[in-house]
Amino acid sequence: MFSFHLLLNVIVAGILLGGFYAAVSLGITLAFGLLNVVNIAHPAFVILGSYAAFVVNSRFGLDPILAGLLFMPVFFLLGIGVYRIYYASFEKRAEESLRGLVFFFGIIFIIEVSLSLQYGVDYRSVHAAYVGDSFRLGPIELAFRLAIPCAMALVLTLALHLFLSRTFYGRAVKAVSQDHLALRLMGADPVRIKGLAFGIAIATASLAGALLIMIGPVEPSIGREYIGRVFAIAVLGGMGSIGGTLVAALILGVLESLTSTFYGPSWALAVSFGILLLVLAVRPSGLVGRAG
Amino acid sequence: MEAGYGAVRVLHGVSIEIHEGETVVLLGTNGNGKSTLMKCIMGIVRPDAGEIVLETDGRRTNLVGRSPEEIVNLGIALVPEGRRLFPVLTVEENLRLGAYRRAARPDLERNLAFCFEAFPVLRERQRQLAGSMSGGEQQMLAVARALMSNPRILLIDEPSVGLAPILVSRVIAKIRELKEIYQLTVLMAEQNFNQATKIADRGYIIVHGQIEFEGHSTRELTEHALVKKYYLGV
Repeated sequence: MFSFHLLLNVIVAGILLGGFYAAVSLGITLAFGLLNVVNIAHPAFVILGSYAAFVVNSRFGLDPILAGLLFMPVFFLLGIGVYRIYYASFEKRAEESLRGLVFFFGIIFIIEVSLSLQYGVDYRSVHAAYVGDSFRLGPIELAFRLAIPCAMALVLTLALHLFLSRTFYGRAVKAVSQDHLALRLMGADPVRIKGLAFGIAIATASLAGALLIMIGPVEPSIGREYIGRVFAIAVLGGMGSIGGTLVAALILGVLESLTSTFYGPSWALAVSFGILLLVLAVRPSGLVGRAG
Repeated sequence: MEAGYGAVRVLHGVSIEIHEGETVVLLGTNGNGKSTLMKCIMGIVRPDAGEIVLETDGRRTNLVGRSPEEIVNLGIALVPEGRRLFPVLTVEENLRLGAYRRAARPDLERNLAFCFEAFPVLRERQRQLAGSMSGGEQQMLAVARALMSNPRILLIDEPSVGLAPILVSRVIAKIRELKEIYQLTVLMAEQNFNQATKIADRGYIIVHGQIEFEGHSTRELTEHALVKKYYLGV
């Protein structure tokens, strides 16, 4: 049954979903778009973040968002560690293209298998007083479990945008893959800069994971569903643009929401791959891509 | 100093000296080792033998074995061959990155204002991507970016490459002007003899990785037989 009221609610739900997708994709935009590190394991780190939030939520009753924020420094250090290994084993020897990809595949399996062994393959979820609630804004019904992740994602997007455009480290992160020797001539160590940026990318996975498990239950291999989505968003967003990532995520969220309501949820994933193919064919530099 | 790449020896016992406040040119055609010498000073290429000594405030520092980052932090800046701007960052972002080293950060806004004053075209194009500018504008940006790091010693590698003659004069004139204002010590590698001698106090002629001639003044350089043969066609 089509109605304007339904359409409006579907679009709003899509925007909220899109905001959350932005949170998941920002790490890819950083690692893949700005550092040229093809971290296909990013969604797996997000799932790791979900389980971190799940563990402290179920043990200590800690708010999942707070848990996601608290784990960010831990994930930051984890990211730096992963980048150091990646750098020493592949990037330093210019073997990153194929072997680096295998390395991140390996990380996906390590994370998935470890989580399965430790917590089983059942769906897990978090509890917070507000998760089941919703509020009304005129004709629109907003569920807290979608609205809060979207709001947090916007905060994260803004924070990353400010970091990249206003700080010395941020500008160095944007420059590092363009000319790493020139960056050294500015007095910045490219390996340190990339480690720092990769750490930040993984730190965003901690928060994104907490948001994911708030939206719906999570099992260890659910991250695979997100690999196509996040890469579609990163490419559509212009590879390395924070604002572009947000816009692309919102577009994808709305399109998916419309598709799953009017055609069926099983089509939702086809939307992201459809967009990915279309963008690569028509406008490979993305929505706001800067010409190289 | 001796240096090279793998089995290929590029510099064979080169020795040069630059005093505070001087502008020294390193003259030579392509492939004679000018850029390699610059890269050795900046720590990008490690010399096989010899030392590179920086004397400041009575302290001697050997630069050999130090990383480019450390050398930049000692107050040496390089305007590299081919400019090496960050093409998909804006002009302003390129300039701000020039002030990355800690000692330069407090003076960032002042230096930025100065660069915009010295190169008005950079102010006009501050929001434009560096890669979309013309060669002359890019060269000016490269010089300005190096100045943003508050250097005491400025190394400039072939500023004239790829530029129209009128732009070469303009860039060279600008370098001379900035050198006075910033009280810099300048080492410039060039193959454009006529332009280089306009700002040089003295210079060296480098041929096949060896210092062929040391001119204590521009007059000595101009009168040298090699220069007459290669550059002036006399």
